[in-house]
Amino acid sequence: MDAVNGAVKLRMDKLAKQFALPNGERTTAVEDFSLDVREGEFMVLVGPSGCGKTTVLNLLAGLDAPTSGVLTIDGRPITGPGADRGVMFQDYALFPWRTVRENVEFGLRYGPAGHGMSADERNRRVTRYVELVHLEQAQAKYPHQLSGGMRQRAALARLMANEPDVLLMDEPLAALDAQTRLVLQDELLRIWGQDRPASERRTVVFITHAIDEAVFLADRVAVMTTNPGRLKTVIDIPLTRPRNDATRARPEFQALYQEIWNLIRAEAYRATVT
Amino acid sequence: MTATVAQRAARGFMLPVALILLWQALGMLMHDVKRMPIPSRVLTAAVDLVGSGELPLAIMQSLGRVFGGFAVAALVAIPLGLVMGNVRSVERNLDPLIESFRPIAAIAILPLAILWMGTGTAAAVFIVSYAAFFPLVINTVAGVKRVERNLLQAAATMGVGRATMLRTVVLPGALPSIGVGMRIALGVAWTAIIAAELAVGAKSGGGGSGGVGQMMFVFYAYSVELNRIVVCMIAVGCVAYALDRLLRAALARAMPWTR
Repeated sequence: MDAVNGAVKLRMDKLAKQFALPNGERTTAVEDFSLDVREGEFMVLVGPSGCGKTTVLNLLAGLDAPTSGVLTIDGRPITGPGADRGVMFQDYALFPWRTVRENVEFGLRYGPAGHGMSADERNRRVTRYVELVHLEQAQAKYPHQLSGGMRQRAALARLMANEPDVLLMDEPLAALDAQTRLVLQDELLRIWGQDRPASERRTVVFITHAIDEAVFLADRVAVMTTNPGRLKTVIDIPLTRPRNDATRARPEFQALYQEIWNLIRAEAYRATVT
Repeated sequence: MTATVAQRAARGFMLPVALILLWQALGMLMHDVKRMPIPSRVLTAAVDLVGSGELPLAIMQSLGRVFGGFAVAALVAIPLGLVMGNVRSVERNLDPLIESFRPIAAIAILPLAILWMGTGTAAAVFIVSYAAFFPLVINTVAGVKRVERNLLQAAATMGVGRATMLRTVVLPGALPSIGVGMRIALGVAWTAIIAAELAVGAKSGGGGSGGVGQMMFVFYAYSVELNRIVVCMIAVGCVAYALDRLLRAALARAMPWTR
Protein backbone atom coordinates (compact mmCIF):
# COMPACT_ATOMS: atom_id res chain seq x y z
CA MET A 1 0.00 0.00 0.00
CA ASP A 2 1.20 3.49 -0.73
CA ALA A 3 0.40 5.28 2.48
CA VAL A 4 -0.95 8.81 2.22
CA ASN A 5 1.74 10.96 3.80
CA GLY A 6 0.71 14.31 2.35
CA ALA A 7 0.33 17.49 4.34
CA VAL A 8 -2.90 18.08 6.21
CA LYS A 9 -5.43 19.43 3.73
CA LEU A 10 -8.53 19.73 5.85
CA ARG A 11 -8.43 20.14 9.62
CA MET A 12 -11.48 19.73 11.79
CA ASP A 13 -10.80 20.47 15.45
CA LYS A 14 -13.46 20.04 18.13
CA LEU A 15 -16.22 20.99 15.71
CA ALA A 16 -19.72 21.36 17.04
CA LYS A 17 -22.90 22.24 15.20
CA GLN A 18 -26.25 22.95 16.78
CA PHE A 19 -29.49 23.70 15.00
CA ALA A 20 -32.54 25.52 16.29
CA LEU A 21 -35.66 23.38 16.10
CA PRO A 22 -39.01 24.90 15.08
CA ASN A 23 -40.17 24.65 18.73
CA GLY A 24 -37.29 26.85 19.85
CA GLU A 25 -35.16 24.08 21.34
CA ARG A 26 -31.68 23.43 20.09
CA THR A 27 -30.44 20.11 18.83
CA THR A 28 -26.82 19.06 18.59
CA ALA A 29 -26.07 17.52 15.21
CA VAL A 30 -22.31 17.16 15.66
CA GLU A 31 -20.19 17.40 18.80
CA ASP A 32 -16.48 17.31 19.59
CA PHE A 33 -15.59 16.24 16.04
CA SER A 34 -11.87 16.25 15.30
CA LEU A 35 -10.38 14.78 12.13
CA ASP A 36 -7.52 15.64 9.77
CA VAL A 37 -7.74 14.76 6.09
CA ARG A 38 -4.40 14.64 4.28
CA GLU A 39 -3.68 15.81 0.78
CA GLY A 40 -4.52 13.13 -1.80
CA GLU A 41 -6.39 11.05 0.73
CA PHE A 42 -9.69 9.28 0.11
CA MET A 43 -11.54 9.69 3.40
CA VAL A 44 -14.91 8.03 3.86
CA LEU A 45 -17.38 8.90 6.61
CA VAL A 46 -19.74 6.11 7.60
CA GLY A 47 -22.34 5.89 10.31
CA PRO A 48 -26.02 5.28 10.90
CA SER A 49 -28.48 7.79 9.53
CA GLY A 50 -28.77 10.88 11.70
CA CYS A 51 -25.15 10.73 12.83
CA GLY A 52 -24.30 14.12 11.32
CA LYS A 53 -22.33 12.98 8.24
CA THR A 54 -24.03 15.48 5.98
CA THR A 55 -23.61 18.22 8.57
CA VAL A 56 -19.84 17.64 8.56
CA LEU A 57 -19.76 17.77 4.77
CA ASN A 58 -21.81 20.98 4.68
CA LEU A 59 -19.40 22.54 7.16
CA LEU A 60 -16.45 21.56 4.96
CA ALA A 61 -18.25 22.94 1.91
CA GLY A 62 -18.86 26.21 3.73
CA LEU A 63 -22.63 25.91 3.22
CA ASP A 64 -23.06 25.95 7.01
CA ALA A 65 -20.96 27.52 9.77
CA PRO A 66 -19.92 25.54 12.85
CA THR A 67 -21.31 26.61 16.22
CA SER A 68 -17.85 26.17 17.67
CA GLY A 69 -14.51 24.64 16.77
CA VAL A 70 -11.84 25.19 14.15
CA LEU A 71 -12.18 24.32 10.49
CA THR A 72 -9.36 24.98 8.00
CA ILE A 73 -8.25 24.17 4.48
CA ASP A 74 -4.48 24.42 3.90
CA GLY A 75 -4.33 26.17 7.27
CA ARG A 76 -6.79 28.91 6.28
CA PRO A 77 -10.18 29.06 8.00
CA ILE A 78 -13.21 28.04 5.93
CA THR A 79 -15.71 30.92 5.92
CA GLY A 80 -17.98 30.05 3.01
CA PRO A 81 -18.34 28.02 -0.16
CA GLY A 82 -15.47 28.20 -2.63
CA ALA A 83 -14.30 26.70 -5.90
CA ASP A 84 -11.41 24.94 -4.12
CA ARG A 85 -13.95 22.53 -2.62
CA GLY A 86 -16.27 20.91 -5.15
CA VAL A 87 -19.44 19.28 -3.88
CA MET A 88 -21.42 16.42 -5.29
CA PHE A 89 -24.87 16.51 -3.77
CA GLN A 90 -26.92 13.49 -2.83
CA ASP A 91 -29.61 14.42 -5.32
CA TYR A 92 -26.99 15.58 -7.87
CA ALA A 93 -28.32 19.17 -8.09
CA LEU A 94 -27.96 19.27 -11.87
CA PHE A 95 -29.39 22.39 -13.51
CA PRO A 96 -32.59 21.15 -15.20
CA TRP A 97 -32.40 23.88 -17.87
CA ARG A 98 -28.93 22.94 -19.01
CA THR A 99 -27.92 19.95 -21.08
CA VAL A 100 -25.39 17.47 -19.73
CA ARG A 101 -22.63 19.28 -21.56
CA GLU A 102 -23.75 22.70 -20.35
CA ASN A 103 -23.94 21.40 -16.79
CA VAL A 104 -20.37 20.11 -16.99
CA GLU A 105 -19.32 23.45 -18.45
CA PHE A 106 -21.08 25.55 -15.79
CA GLY A 107 -18.29 26.04 -13.27
CA LEU A 108 -15.72 26.72 -15.98
CA ARG A 109 -17.94 29.28 -17.60
CA TYR A 110 -19.25 31.17 -14.59
CA GLY A 111 -16.84 30.31 -11.78
CA PRO A 112 -13.15 30.92 -11.16
CA ALA A 113 -12.23 27.40 -12.35
CA GLY A 114 -12.30 28.59 -15.97
CA HIS A 115 -10.65 31.98 -15.53
CA GLY A 116 -8.13 32.70 -18.22
CA MET A 117 -9.37 29.78 -20.27
CA SER A 118 -10.20 30.27 -23.94
CA ALA A 119 -13.49 28.92 -25.24
CA ASP A 120 -11.46 26.29 -27.06
CA GLU A 121 -9.64 25.09 -23.96
CA ARG A 122 -12.89 25.03 -22.08
CA ASN A 123 -14.52 22.91 -24.75
CA ARG A 124 -11.66 20.45 -24.72
CA ARG A 125 -11.84 20.15 -20.93
CA VAL A 126 -15.61 19.57 -21.03
CA THR A 127 -15.25 16.97 -23.77
CA ARG A 128 -12.58 15.16 -21.79
CA TYR A 129 -14.73 14.81 -18.68
CA VAL A 130 -17.88 13.98 -20.62
CA GLU A 131 -15.91 11.15 -22.24
CA LEU A 132 -14.43 10.10 -18.92
CA VAL A 133 -17.89 9.32 -17.57
CA HIS A 134 -19.03 7.86 -20.92
CA LEU A 135 -21.78 10.37 -21.58
CA GLU A 136 -20.80 11.31 -25.16
CA GLN A 137 -24.10 9.95 -26.49
CA ALA A 138 -26.15 11.84 -23.91
CA GLN A 139 -24.33 15.17 -23.81
CA ALA A 140 -27.08 17.12 -25.59
CA LYS A 141 -29.81 15.74 -23.33
CA TYR A 142 -31.41 17.47 -20.38
CA PRO A 143 -31.15 15.91 -16.89
CA HIS A 144 -34.77 14.78 -16.83
CA GLN A 145 -34.13 12.69 -19.92
CA LEU A 146 -31.39 10.69 -18.20
CA SER A 147 -31.49 7.59 -16.02
CA GLY A 148 -30.41 7.87 -12.38
CA GLY A 149 -27.00 6.39 -13.16
CA MET A 150 -26.41 8.81 -16.04
CA ARG A 151 -27.41 11.77 -13.90
CA GLN A 152 -24.98 10.63 -11.28
CA ARG A 153 -22.20 10.45 -13.87
CA ALA A 154 -23.12 13.88 -15.22
CA ALA A 155 -22.83 15.32 -11.70
CA LEU A 156 -19.50 13.57 -11.29
CA ALA A 157 -18.23 15.04 -14.57
CA ARG A 158 -19.40 18.51 -13.54
CA LEU A 159 -17.57 18.17 -10.24
CA MET A 160 -14.39 16.85 -11.86
CA ALA A 161 -14.33 19.38 -14.72
CA ASN A 162 -13.71 22.17 -12.23
CA GLU A 163 -10.72 20.20 -10.96
CA PRO A 164 -11.20 21.35 -7.35
CA ASP A 165 -8.50 20.56 -4.77
CA VAL A 166 -11.03 18.82 -2.57
CA LEU A 167 -14.00 16.72 -3.62
CA LEU A 168 -16.84 16.50 -1.11
CA MET A 169 -19.35 13.79 -1.99
CA ASP A 170 -22.60 13.17 -0.11
CA GLU A 171 -23.84 9.63 -0.69
CA PRO A 172 -23.47 10.12 -4.42
CA LEU A 173 -24.21 6.48 -5.22
CA ALA A 174 -27.03 5.96 -2.73
CA ALA A 175 -29.87 6.24 -5.22
CA LEU A 176 -28.48 3.68 -7.64
CA ASP A 177 -29.19 -0.01 -8.10
CA ALA A 178 -26.57 -2.46 -6.86
CA GLN A 179 -24.97 -3.23 -10.25
CA THR A 180 -24.66 0.38 -11.39
CA ARG A 181 -23.21 1.18 -8.03
CA LEU A 182 -20.38 -1.34 -8.35
CA VAL A 183 -19.52 -0.08 -11.84
CA LEU A 184 -19.47 3.52 -10.67
CA GLN A 185 -17.31 2.73 -7.65
CA ASP A 186 -14.68 1.44 -10.08
CA GLU A 187 -15.10 4.52 -12.29
CA LEU A 188 -14.86 6.83 -9.33
CA LEU A 189 -11.53 5.36 -8.24
CA ARG A 190 -10.22 5.58 -11.80
CA ILE A 191 -11.23 9.23 -12.09
CA TRP A 192 -9.84 10.02 -8.64
CA GLY A 193 -6.53 8.64 -9.90
CA GLN A 194 -5.91 5.37 -8.10
CA ASP A 195 -3.56 4.33 -10.90
CA ARG A 196 -1.42 7.40 -10.37
CA PRO A 197 1.00 8.07 -7.51
CA ALA A 198 -0.63 9.39 -4.33
CA SER A 199 0.87 12.85 -4.79
CA GLU A 200 -1.17 13.36 -7.99
CA ARG A 201 -4.51 12.47 -6.46
CA ARG A 202 -7.12 14.88 -5.22
CA THR A 203 -8.42 14.95 -1.68
CA VAL A 204 -11.80 13.29 -1.24
CA VAL A 205 -14.29 13.29 1.61
CA PHE A 206 -16.99 10.79 0.76
CA ILE A 207 -20.13 10.01 2.74
CA THR A 208 -21.88 6.67 2.60
CA HIS A 209 -23.90 4.40 4.82
CA ALA A 210 -22.78 1.33 2.85
CA ILE A 211 -19.87 -0.32 4.63
CA ASP A 212 -18.69 -2.34 1.61
CA GLU A 213 -18.53 0.86 -0.41
CA ALA A 214 -16.52 2.56 2.33
CA VAL A 215 -13.98 -0.26 2.53
CA PHE A 216 -13.64 -0.50 -1.24
CA LEU A 217 -13.01 3.21 -1.81
CA ALA A 218 -11.25 4.55 1.27
CA ASP A 219 -7.72 5.10 2.46
CA ARG A 220 -9.25 5.64 5.87
CA VAL A 221 -12.78 5.22 7.17
CA ALA A 222 -14.07 7.56 9.84
CA VAL A 223 -16.83 5.81 11.79
CA MET A 224 -19.41 8.07 13.37
CA THR A 225 -21.95 7.44 16.10
CA THR A 226 -25.28 9.07 16.56
CA ASN A 227 -27.06 11.19 19.20
CA PRO A 228 -25.16 13.42 19.11
CA GLY A 229 -22.96 12.87 16.06
CA ARG A 230 -19.44 12.10 17.17
CA LEU A 231 -16.40 10.49 15.68
CA LYS A 232 -16.11 6.98 17.09
CA THR A 233 -12.88 5.85 15.50
CA VAL A 234 -10.82 6.05 12.33
CA ILE A 235 -9.85 2.81 10.60
CA ASP A 236 -7.00 2.41 8.11
CA ILE A 237 -7.87 0.49 4.96
CA PRO A 238 -4.53 -1.03 3.92
CA LEU A 239 -5.87 -2.73 0.76
CA THR A 240 -3.48 -2.30 -2.18
CA ARG A 241 -4.36 -0.03 -5.09
CA PRO A 242 -5.48 -0.22 -7.80
CA ARG A 243 -8.47 -1.99 -6.35
CA ASN A 244 -10.89 -3.99 -8.48
CA ASP A 245 -13.45 -6.80 -8.29
CA ALA A 246 -10.83 -9.15 -6.89
CA THR A 247 -10.38 -6.74 -3.97
CA ARG A 248 -13.96 -7.31 -2.86
CA ALA A 249 -13.40 -11.06 -2.63
CA ARG A 250 -10.30 -10.89 -0.46
CA PRO A 251 -10.41 -12.02 3.18
CA GLU A 252 -8.93 -8.69 4.36
CA PHE A 253 -11.86 -6.92 2.70
CA GLN A 254 -14.30 -9.13 4.56
CA ALA A 255 -12.43 -8.65 7.84
CA LEU A 256 -12.49 -4.85 7.51
CA TYR A 257 -16.16 -4.96 6.61
CA GLN A 258 -16.86 -7.01 9.71
CA GLU A 259 -14.77 -4.74 11.92
CA ILE A 260 -16.69 -1.64 10.88
CA TRP A 261 -20.03 -3.40 11.03
CA ASN A 262 -19.25 -4.48 14.62
CA LEU A 263 -18.59 -0.85 15.48
CA ILE A 264 -21.94 0.45 14.28
CA ARG A 265 -24.14 -2.63 14.59
CA ALA A 266 -25.51 -1.89 18.05
CA GLU A 267 -26.60 1.59 17.02
CA ALA A 268 -27.94 0.50 13.68
CA TYR A 269 -30.18 -2.03 15.43
CA ARG A 270 -31.28 0.55 17.95
CA ALA A 271 -32.12 2.98 15.16
CA THR A 272 -34.18 0.31 13.41
CA VAL A 273 -36.08 -0.76 16.51
CA THR A 274 -37.00 2.70 17.80
CA MET B 1 -64.12 0.36 -31.28
CA THR B 2 -62.09 3.30 -32.51
CA ALA B 3 -63.82 6.35 -33.89
CA THR B 4 -62.42 8.00 -37.02
CA VAL B 5 -61.10 11.53 -36.84
CA ALA B 6 -64.19 12.81 -38.60
CA GLN B 7 -66.49 11.02 -36.19
CA ARG B 8 -64.67 12.41 -33.21
CA ALA B 9 -64.72 15.94 -34.65
CA ALA B 10 -68.45 15.62 -35.37
CA ARG B 11 -69.08 14.54 -31.78
CA GLY B 12 -67.13 17.54 -30.46
CA PHE B 13 -69.13 19.95 -32.61
CA MET B 14 -72.53 18.48 -31.92
CA LEU B 15 -73.39 20.54 -28.82
CA PRO B 16 -72.20 23.94 -30.16
CA VAL B 17 -74.06 23.38 -33.42
CA ALA B 18 -77.21 22.41 -31.56
CA LEU B 19 -76.99 25.50 -29.38
CA ILE B 20 -76.52 27.78 -32.37
CA LEU B 21 -79.53 26.23 -34.11
CA LEU B 22 -81.61 26.72 -30.96
CA TRP B 23 -80.46 30.33 -30.73
CA GLN B 24 -81.38 30.88 -34.38
CA ALA B 25 -84.85 29.39 -33.85
CA LEU B 26 -85.54 31.43 -30.73
CA GLY B 27 -84.33 34.60 -32.43
CA MET B 28 -86.63 34.07 -35.40
CA LEU B 29 -89.59 33.58 -33.03
CA MET B 30 -88.99 36.98 -31.41
CA HIS B 31 -90.85 39.93 -32.84
CA ASP B 32 -88.43 42.66 -31.89
CA VAL B 33 -85.50 41.53 -34.01
CA LYS B 34 -83.58 44.67 -33.22
CA ARG B 35 -83.10 43.55 -29.59
CA MET B 36 -82.05 40.00 -30.43
CA PRO B 37 -78.91 39.08 -32.35
CA ILE B 38 -79.37 35.89 -34.37
CA PRO B 39 -76.65 33.66 -35.83
CA SER B 40 -77.45 34.15 -39.53
CA ARG B 41 -77.25 37.94 -39.18
CA VAL B 42 -74.18 37.73 -37.00
CA LEU B 43 -72.51 35.80 -39.83
CA THR B 44 -73.51 38.43 -42.40
CA ALA B 45 -72.27 41.17 -40.08
CA ALA B 46 -68.98 39.32 -39.62
CA VAL B 47 -68.44 39.04 -43.37
CA ASP B 48 -69.18 42.78 -43.68
CA LEU B 49 -66.88 43.89 -40.87
CA VAL B 50 -63.97 41.68 -41.91
CA GLY B 51 -64.44 42.39 -45.62
CA SER B 52 -64.46 46.15 -45.14
CA GLY B 53 -61.27 45.90 -43.11
CA GLU B 54 -62.86 47.69 -40.15
CA LEU B 55 -62.61 44.78 -37.73
CA PRO B 56 -59.03 43.74 -38.63
CA LEU B 57 -57.93 47.38 -38.26
CA ALA B 58 -59.64 47.69 -34.84
CA ILE B 59 -58.05 44.44 -33.69
CA MET B 60 -54.62 45.65 -34.77
CA GLN B 61 -55.13 48.92 -32.87
CA SER B 62 -56.14 47.08 -29.71
CA LEU B 63 -53.30 44.58 -30.07
CA GLY B 64 -50.76 47.37 -30.46
CA ARG B 65 -51.83 48.83 -27.11
CA VAL B 66 -51.80 45.42 -25.46
CA PHE B 67 -48.28 44.67 -26.64
CA GLY B 68 -47.03 48.12 -25.63
CA GLY B 69 -48.58 47.92 -22.18
CA PHE B 70 -47.53 44.32 -21.68
CA ALA B 71 -43.92 45.14 -22.58
CA VAL B 72 -43.83 48.05 -20.14
CA ALA B 73 -45.31 45.85 -17.39
CA ALA B 74 -42.84 43.03 -18.07
CA LEU B 75 -39.87 45.40 -18.03
CA VAL B 76 -40.90 46.70 -14.60
CA ALA B 77 -42.50 43.65 -12.98
CA ILE B 78 -39.98 40.91 -13.83
CA PRO B 79 -36.83 42.68 -12.57
CA LEU B 80 -38.79 43.92 -9.56
CA GLY B 81 -40.04 40.40 -8.84
CA LEU B 82 -36.50 39.03 -9.09
CA VAL B 83 -35.27 41.56 -6.54
CA MET B 84 -38.29 41.04 -4.26
CA GLY B 85 -37.83 37.27 -4.32
CA ASN B 86 -34.15 37.63 -3.42
CA VAL B 87 -34.05 40.47 -0.93
CA ARG B 88 -36.31 39.99 2.06
CA SER B 89 -36.42 43.65 3.11
CA VAL B 90 -37.54 44.78 -0.35
CA GLU B 91 -40.30 42.20 -0.36
CA ARG B 92 -41.46 43.12 3.14
CA ASN B 93 -41.77 46.76 2.08
CA LEU B 94 -43.41 46.31 -1.30
CA ASP B 95 -45.70 43.35 -0.66
CA PRO B 96 -48.35 45.26 1.38
CA LEU B 97 -48.37 48.03 -1.22
CA ILE B 98 -48.79 45.65 -4.14
CA GLU B 99 -51.39 43.51 -2.41
CA SER B 100 -53.51 46.53 -1.48
CA PHE B 101 -53.47 47.90 -5.04
CA ARG B 102 -54.15 44.51 -6.60
CA PRO B 103 -57.91 44.39 -5.85
CA ILE B 104 -58.39 47.77 -7.56
CA ALA B 105 -59.45 46.76 -11.05
CA ALA B 106 -57.62 48.32 -13.99
CA ILE B 107 -60.88 49.85 -15.16
CA ALA B 108 -61.21 51.67 -11.82
CA ILE B 109 -57.94 53.45 -12.52
CA LEU B 110 -59.29 54.68 -15.85
CA PRO B 111 -60.77 57.99 -14.62
CA LEU B 112 -57.36 59.04 -13.29
CA ALA B 113 -55.59 57.80 -16.40
CA ILE B 114 -57.90 59.80 -18.67
CA LEU B 115 -57.60 62.93 -16.55
CA TRP B 116 -53.82 62.71 -16.55
CA MET B 117 -53.10 61.35 -20.01
CA GLY B 118 -56.18 62.01 -22.10
CA THR B 119 -58.10 59.47 -24.14
CA GLY B 120 -55.25 58.47 -26.39
CA THR B 121 -52.81 55.62 -26.52
CA ALA B 122 -50.87 56.72 -23.42
CA ALA B 123 -53.83 56.13 -21.11
CA ALA B 124 -54.62 52.81 -22.80
CA VAL B 125 -51.03 51.57 -22.43
CA PHE B 126 -51.08 52.69 -18.79
CA ILE B 127 -54.25 50.72 -18.05
CA VAL B 128 -52.87 47.63 -19.76
CA SER B 129 -49.56 47.76 -17.90
CA TYR B 130 -51.36 48.27 -14.62
CA ALA B 131 -53.49 45.17 -15.24
CA ALA B 132 -50.56 43.05 -16.43
CA PHE B 133 -48.20 44.16 -13.66
CA PHE B 134 -49.77 42.15 -10.82
CA PRO B 135 -49.82 38.64 -12.25
CA LEU B 136 -46.29 39.21 -13.58
CA VAL B 137 -44.76 40.42 -10.34
CA ILE B 138 -46.55 37.89 -8.13
CA ASN B 139 -45.59 34.91 -10.28
CA THR B 140 -42.00 36.12 -10.62
CA VAL B 141 -41.63 36.35 -6.83
CA ALA B 142 -43.22 32.90 -6.42
CA GLY B 143 -40.90 31.51 -9.10
CA VAL B 144 -37.78 32.89 -7.44
CA LYS B 145 -38.83 31.31 -4.15
CA ARG B 146 -39.39 27.98 -5.80
CA VAL B 147 -35.85 27.78 -7.16
CA GLU B 148 -34.36 24.76 -5.44
CA ARG B 149 -31.91 25.64 -2.70
CA ASN B 150 -29.47 22.93 -3.67
CA LEU B 151 -29.09 24.45 -7.15
CA LEU B 152 -28.06 27.75 -5.59
CA GLN B 153 -25.71 25.86 -3.30
CA ALA B 154 -24.26 23.95 -6.24
CA ALA B 155 -23.49 27.23 -8.01
CA ALA B 156 -22.03 28.68 -4.80
CA THR B 157 -19.68 25.72 -4.37
CA MET B 158 -18.41 26.36 -7.89
CA GLY B 159 -17.46 29.86 -6.79
CA VAL B 160 -20.16 31.62 -8.84
CA GLY B 161 -20.90 35.18 -7.64
CA ARG B 162 -24.31 36.48 -6.63
CA ALA B 163 -24.98 38.59 -9.70
CA THR B 164 -24.04 35.76 -12.06
CA MET B 165 -26.13 33.37 -10.00
CA LEU B 166 -29.16 35.60 -10.41
CA ARG B 167 -28.79 35.38 -14.19
CA THR B 168 -27.72 31.74 -14.53
CA VAL B 169 -29.68 29.99 -11.76
CA VAL B 170 -32.45 32.18 -10.31
CA LEU B 171 -33.83 33.49 -13.60
CA PRO B 172 -34.00 30.15 -15.46
CA GLY B 173 -35.25 28.46 -12.29
CA ALA B 174 -38.08 30.98 -12.00
CA LEU B 175 -38.85 31.02 -15.72
CA PRO B 176 -41.64 28.40 -15.75
CA SER B 177 -43.49 30.42 -13.10
CA ILE B 178 -42.77 33.70 -14.91
CA GLY B 179 -44.23 32.06 -18.02
CA VAL B 180 -47.47 31.30 -16.17
CA GLY B 181 -47.50 34.93 -15.02
CA MET B 182 -47.10 36.06 -18.62
CA ARG B 183 -50.03 33.98 -19.78
CA ILE B 184 -52.31 35.33 -17.06
CA ALA B 185 -51.03 38.87 -17.63
CA LEU B 186 -51.62 38.76 -21.36
CA GLY B 187 -55.16 37.56 -20.74
CA VAL B 188 -56.02 40.33 -18.29
CA ALA B 189 -54.25 42.90 -20.51
CA TRP B 190 -56.53 41.97 -23.38
CA THR B 191 -59.60 42.10 -21.13
CA ALA B 192 -58.49 45.48 -19.77
CA ILE B 193 -57.92 47.08 -23.15
CA ILE B 194 -61.38 46.15 -24.45
CA ALA B 195 -62.97 47.54 -21.28
CA ALA B 196 -60.81 50.68 -21.42
CA GLU B 197 -61.66 51.35 -25.06
CA LEU B 198 -65.35 50.94 -24.31
CA ALA B 199 -65.09 53.49 -21.50
CA VAL B 200 -62.90 55.88 -23.46
CA GLY B 201 -65.46 55.71 -26.22
CA ALA B 202 -68.05 57.04 -23.79
CA LYS B 203 -65.90 59.97 -22.84
CA SER B 204 -64.79 61.17 -26.23
CA GLY B 205 -68.23 60.70 -27.76
CA GLY B 206 -67.36 57.84 -30.08
CA GLY B 207 -64.86 59.67 -32.16
CA GLY B 208 -61.92 58.51 -30.10
CA SER B 209 -58.90 56.46 -30.79
CA GLY B 210 -60.17 53.22 -32.28
CA GLY B 211 -59.82 49.62 -31.21
CA VAL B 212 -62.30 46.78 -30.77
CA GLY B 213 -63.77 48.17 -27.56
CA GLN B 214 -64.39 51.52 -29.19
CA MET B 215 -66.01 49.81 -32.12
CA MET B 216 -68.37 47.99 -29.77
CA PHE B 217 -69.23 51.27 -28.10
CA VAL B 218 -70.22 52.81 -31.41
CA PHE B 219 -72.45 49.83 -32.29
CA TYR B 220 -74.06 50.07 -28.88
CA ALA B 221 -74.49 53.81 -28.36
CA TYR B 222 -75.06 55.14 -31.89
CA SER B 223 -76.15 52.62 -34.46
CA VAL B 224 -77.51 49.94 -32.07
CA GLU B 225 -76.34 46.92 -34.04
CA LEU B 226 -76.44 43.91 -31.76
CA ASN B 227 -75.28 41.51 -34.44
CA ARG B 228 -72.13 43.54 -34.92
CA ILE B 229 -71.50 43.68 -31.18
CA VAL B 230 -71.69 39.89 -31.09
CA VAL B 231 -69.17 39.75 -33.94
CA CYS B 232 -66.82 41.88 -31.84
CA MET B 233 -67.35 39.63 -28.82
CA ILE B 234 -66.49 36.56 -30.83
CA ALA B 235 -63.42 38.32 -32.25
CA VAL B 236 -62.27 39.24 -28.75
CA GLY B 237 -62.52 35.60 -27.69
CA CYS B 238 -60.72 34.30 -30.78
CA VAL B 239 -57.89 36.82 -30.43
CA ALA B 240 -57.46 35.93 -26.74
CA TYR B 241 -57.23 32.26 -27.63
CA ALA B 242 -54.73 32.89 -30.42
CA LEU B 243 -52.58 35.10 -28.17
CA ASP B 244 -52.40 32.39 -25.52
CA ARG B 245 -51.49 29.68 -28.04
CA LEU B 246 -48.74 31.88 -29.50
CA LEU B 247 -47.36 32.73 -26.08
CA ARG B 248 -47.41 29.07 -25.03
CA ALA B 249 -45.52 28.11 -28.17
CA ALA B 250 -42.96 30.87 -27.55
CA LEU B 251 -42.52 29.78 -23.92
CA ALA B 252 -42.07 26.14 -24.93
CA ARG B 253 -39.35 27.27 -27.34
CA ALA B 254 -37.68 29.35 -24.65
CA MET B 255 -37.76 26.41 -22.21
CA PRO B 256 -36.76 23.34 -24.20
CA TRP B 257 -36.00 21.45 -20.98
CA THR B 258 -39.68 21.42 -19.98
CA ARG B 259 -40.68 19.43 -23.05
